[in-house]
Amino acid sequence: MDRERSIRREDIHALVREIQNGNREAFMTIVGAYQQRVFVMAYSMLRNKEDALDVVQETFLRLFQKAGQFKEGCNFQGWLLRIAKNMSVDYYRKNYRKRREFESPKSLDELQVAAEPAPASSSSGEMWDVFFRSIDKLAGRQRMVFVLRHVDELQFNEISETMNISVGTVKSLHFKAVQNLRKWLSPYMGITS
Amino acid sequence: MNTCQDLQKDRAAFLAGEMGPERRERMASHLKGCPRCREEVDEMRKVIDAAGLVKGEMEKVIASVDWETLPAKVTDYVFGKMARPRRLTIGERLRRRLTRPVMIPVYAGVVLGLILGSLATYLILNRRAPSTVTENRFFASPEFIDRVELEMTRRQTLDYLQKSQYLLLDLAQSSSRDKGRGMEQLVSGRAKELLAKKKYLNPQLGNSRMAKAKVICDQIELLFLELSQISDDLTGAEMKRIQGMIEDRRLLLKISLVEKELEESEV
Repeated sequence: MDRERSIRREDIHALVREIQNGNREAFMTIVGAYQQRVFVMAYSMLRNKEDALDVVQETFLRLFQKAGQFKEGCNFQGWLLRIAKNMSVDYYRKNYRKRREFESPKSLDELQVAAEPAPASSSSGEMWDVFFRSIDKLAGRQRMVFVLRHVDELQFNEISETMNISVGTVKSLHFKAVQNLRKWLSPYMGITS
Repeated sequence: MNTCQDLQKDRAAFLAGEMGPERRERMASHLKGCPRCREEVDEMRKVIDAAGLVKGEMEKVIASVDWETLPAKVTDYVFGKMARPRRLTIGERLRRRLTRPVMIPVYAGVVLGLILGSLATYLILNRRAPSTVTENRFFASPEFIDRVELEMTRRQTLDYLQKSQYLLLDLAQSSSRDKGRGMEQLVSGRAKELLAKKKYLNPQLGNSRMAKAKVICDQIELLFLELSQISDDLTGAEMKRIQGMIEDRRLLLKISLVEKELEESEV
């Protein structure tokens, strides 16, 4: 996954200062560098391209408004992804949860009952749906840690900065997320437990 | 604590490649010798591998987005939003609404209403003021008080004259026979009483309308003054002299006339 055009930390701080002065070019450079990371964060929460793009816009709008609050020396990516995470959660709470329930009224338990035990018989589309439903079923922070680690491919220390929690907590949340997914996905993946 | 329990919580981190080299080495050697842990780690690996499904799907979605034009679109959106006039606060909107020219007649009406209301209140309060005074029992006009005083003087003078008349009649009709029956003390006491009454009447008789009464009252007063000084040994000659004075001056007649006049001139 081509993530971003890499920017040095000093350059990022200079760009943020320029954004504070209303520099359009600097802003566009930052958007180009971090748009995919922000999109992945939003998409992993919302699973809808258009909505994820809306969140990208709102996240960068918030960045523009709050650029003055960024403290030099801090991890810019962690700060930006924290904004993206909060925007995604807000968006989900506002209008996404109800819409998803309306579009897919079948619960995970219903899908599990209907599913064949052997993984070979599960179509990739159904597997995709079941897997995402299992991820949805995870507690908020477990879901966030799992998605950031295995979809967005962030390291534990990066996740710790993004979520503003310790690396130990990230590790613990990740373990719990994997254990829960193992339990819920066992009928589909030939897992014995 | 055995090795299985010790390493249990590290299994996910081991699969995610988030482990230090020493601990990783220890986990790898443990898994070789522990089929149960190995089975669990294999199952967890399947879950993590399933995330590849998500990742693959994610890459397809990412590939469908036009990342070249997105920065310009986002920048236009953000700068467009920031360029829009700030939404006014409730206070500002209220102030703007209240200072519109269309509100001028409303304010004029309110001011006019206040003025008229104040005026009406003032007038109502001013009209009620005299009635409040009228209701006050202590209020009386000077004329009324004069008339009351005059009437009281008239009645008291009448009373004085009647009592004086009775005393003078008693004196005029008394004879030397009555001497020694306490007549002198009685006359003297009554005369003193009437003198005291006259003292009280004096200031009131100053009124011009009581001039006639004053003259007769003064004459009677002189007589009573003498009577009050009479001692027990009132001689027949003295009694005669006093009776003579009453007759000479026609006091009883004068008193009757003044009485009549006073009775008629009721205020």
